[in-house]
Amino acid sequence: MPKVIYHPAYRGYDLGPEHPFSPGRIDMVLDLLTDIGAAPELVAPAPVAAAELFGVHDADYVRAVEAASIGEIGPELAALGLGTPDNPIVAGMAEAARWLVGGTLHGARLIAAGEADLVLQLGGGFHHARRRLASGFCLYNDLAVAIRHLVAVGMHVAYIDIDVHHGDGVQEIFYADEHVLTLSLHESGEYLFPGMGWPHELGQGMGRGLKLNVPLEPFTEGGSYLEALEKVSEPAFDFFRPDVLVVQAGADAHHLDTMADLMLTTQDFERVIGTIMRLAERYTRGRALFTLGGGYSLQATPRVWAILYLVLHGLPIPAALPAAWLERWSDHLGGQGIATLHDPDDPYPPVPRRPEIESRNRMMVDRLLDGAARYWL
Amino acid sequence: MLVREVMHGDPITVGPQTSLEDAYAIMRERNIRHLPVMEGKRVVGVVTDRDLRLATSRLAQHPFPPGTEVRTVMAHPVQTAHPLDPIESAARVMRELKIGCLPVLDGPELVGIVTGVDILDALLKLTGVERPSGRLEVRLADQPGELAQLTRFLSDLNVNIHSVLSYPDGEHRGRTVLRVGTMDIRALADGLDAAGFEVLWPPCQPCRK
Repeated sequence: MPKVIYHPAYRGYDLGPEHPFSPGRIDMVLDLLTDIGAAPELVAPAPVAAAELFGVHDADYVRAVEAASIGEIGPELAALGLGTPDNPIVAGMAEAARWLVGGTLHGARLIAAGEADLVLQLGGGFHHARRRLASGFCLYNDLAVAIRHLVAVGMHVAYIDIDVHHGDGVQEIFYADEHVLTLSLHESGEYLFPGMGWPHELGQGMGRGLKLNVPLEPFTEGGSYLEALEKVSEPAFDFFRPDVLVVQAGADAHHLDTMADLMLTTQDFERVIGTIMRLAERYTRGRALFTLGGGYSLQATPRVWAILYLVLHGLPIPAALPAAWLERWSDHLGGQGIATLHDPDDPYPPVPRRPEIESRNRMMVDRLLDGAARYWL
Repeated sequence: MLVREVMHGDPITVGPQTSLEDAYAIMRERNIRHLPVMEGKRVVGVVTDRDLRLATSRLAQHPFPPGTEVRTVMAHPVQTAHPLDPIESAARVMRELKIGCLPVLDGPELVGIVTGVDILDALLKLTGVERPSGRLEVRLADQPGELAQLTRFLSDLNVNIHSVLSYPDGEHRGRTVLRVGTMDIRALADGLDAAGFEVLWPPCQPCRK
């Protein structure tokens, strides 16, 4: 049985009522799981201390974030990415972020200690946080803290990032690390924040050939997405032989997401998660740590993450959404909501450029493999 | 951006009597393509890998032997740049004369060399993604105050601008490309659209929602 990690203190990571990264999204998932009779047994983590972040973030960055969080606003904050519309300064944000880091780190500890193989952290996934830069709604990089712990006990970590945005923070932090492979599939930086994540970003020094990026065309659909994931992950893992997977399972590649343009359906997400689970069985004896991430459509995100939970538990996916849940969250779901857990059939009109999009994605994958494979020999 | 910011200081040089063979060896060893030719402290020519290859090619009617002195094949008189020249004027000279490098002289003294690749690096720096950001492209009328309105709009939202690039688009309009520090570029584009700006990027999305 997978371990599921959550603490109500995660709700404190609230960047304001207008901010898209709302804690309500996780409430909706937990509520939905309860209503379909799959209420999770939750493992409570502890927050990390500020000093535990120093391996991943510069100490002066952590100190500035902690100070800003209790109202001490210094002039250096702008250069550290704070006080922007994406990363506003909110009282208590640092403590809440440390709770979330604590959750992801707890998952890593369970796996490192052999107490669990499969862990789902119901939060976190702050892949944009850099060594000394708050960015893209992220303050502290929980993924990097967890990966660092897994590396410290001698594991080879393969990081898979299915958030629609490039996992730039995790890539930066482990850019020269030969114990960490990062694989990010995202909408092309030509169109989407943060503007990076190109196939030529292959890593540095001993980490060369282990940082893999697949920038996808806008309006990429599930078939092309899965093809890219399989075509890159298998040869990369054959070479790298990971001991554990860390997966940032953002839901914003869903076609309803307002912040990006990929066209995945919930059915596609089920397949993507299934593929990652098979990778875990084949390469890491089932060891995998999943976190949440981006996902800004309240109509889609809770359903994607509920499906993530059900697939990890090997549970069937019920057809209908419970009426009580639809009723309770009607404010969040908007008017004519979707009444099923999966997307309806043909949820969007056919994408006119599909053949061109698929061929450009294939070209990107080939370009990446051409560049990376020379370091795998 | 000035030439001195992108040039390579302390360039490797040869004398006029250096042999083609030796010049070629220096280029191979240092992985470079251009050598200023010095007579004492004076630049008298430039020899490039292409000069060497053409001069010695077996396909040439009368190939020069490897021991030939570089002064025989070097380009001269030499086009040069000053460290305080803007890079665009260096780029213009190189493009118009179809040459690959300019020795940089401060008075009579050789202080550096700037090549086409340095200019490309500068272009990458100007257009590149130095910080996590989104790309925004807006078409503006070519008249005073247009850009100010755009930047005022961003300023009111407290959105930081990382870089701005502007170029003409037809006779009466211009395109402005900005890299801005926000993840939600689509919401920003919608807001600009509602405020009457013509947003070219992110592209509008006919098949969405």
